[in-house]
Amino acid sequence: MKKFIYIFTFVFLCSTAMATTIHLGEKLTLTKVTKISEINAHPKKYLGKRVLIEGTVIEVCAARGCWVDIASDLPFQKILVKVIDGVIVFPMTAKGRTALVEGIVEVIHLNLRETVEYSQHQAEKRGKKFYPTSVKEPMKLYRIKGLGAVIK
Amino acid sequence: MNWKKINYILHRDIGLLCIGLTLLYAISGVVVNHISHDFNPSYKIEKITSQVSPAPKGAVPDMVMVKSVLTELEEYGKFKNVAFISPDNIRIFVEGNTIDYFLSSGTVVQEKVQKRPFLYELNYLHLNKPKKSWTYAADIYAILLGFLAISGLLMIRKKTIKRGVILTAIGFIIPIGYIIFLL
Repeated sequence: MKKFIYIFTFVFLCSTAMATTIHLGEKLTLTKVTKISEINAHPKKYLGKRVLIEGTVIEVCAARGCWVDIASDLPFQKILVKVIDGVIVFPMTAKGRTALVEGIVEVIHLNLRETVEYSQHQAEKRGKKFYPTSVKEPMKLYRIKGLGAVIK
Repeated sequence: MNWKKINYILHRDIGLLCIGLTLLYAISGVVVNHISHDFNPSYKIEKITSQVSPAPKGAVPDMVMVKSVLTELEEYGKFKNVAFISPDNIRIFVEGNTIDYFLSSGTVVQEKVQKRPFLYELNYLHLNKPKKSWTYAADIYAILLGFLAISGLLMIRKKTIKRGVILTAIGFIIPIGYIIFLL
């Protein structure tokens, strides 16, 4: 019995230590990667379509791990990947690692108040001044509803 | 052996079997209840704002700049990656630390992330992050909890039936009341 416990512990620790690649959610089914810059440039073309994207994880939801920002292939661009709470939980340690994410492109229609709040939050993150009166129209936010991911 | 005796033995033994998991779910449950944007139950997140030398005007971010920032911060953790967030902001990823460097001002915002020992492991199981076989283990535990509730109910004796009924009713009234008034 003791021998069995030792073997089990050893195998468990080894598997934990070697688990460098993290698989989350559904298995990836697509093989062709769509550039994030391409989705950002033509979001309507991809709306409702299943895509596979690849990029560096630059931000992770600190509360629940329910969203990540993935850096685009072009500088200063990113795309938001939102997952259903609890179905996929992105670990904080994913930051800075390369992620392959498969999901469906969707659009969120923000109202004017939400647009102001979103813009204010973005400005604060960049350390810039924000004037709520500068927001005149509600905005659309294109993002990916994440179904599966591999963190390399 | 009558059914009351069997019920008592099963209630006692299954209760003992569930002690470990109950404590796991209870401790983790309290911390997970308090999740907010300021509190992550699994990670300790510390934000530090400091100042290093600003980049020369017109300088293009490169690895020399990254190394210089890391040296000034005395950050010697394993380098992971770097990303261009905006023309004035690069984000450097080091093991356990994310560093936002603002080129023009030299302002640095560090986000140091550490796993909360013990709680990380408890939450890992409570939130069913391993999925697979743990899903079955958690399901079996939930069924056993259900059994403990019913077998406990059957253990109410005639002498204490009034108290038993009142306490059981309170247990139902609290969640039902919340649903009625808050939902």
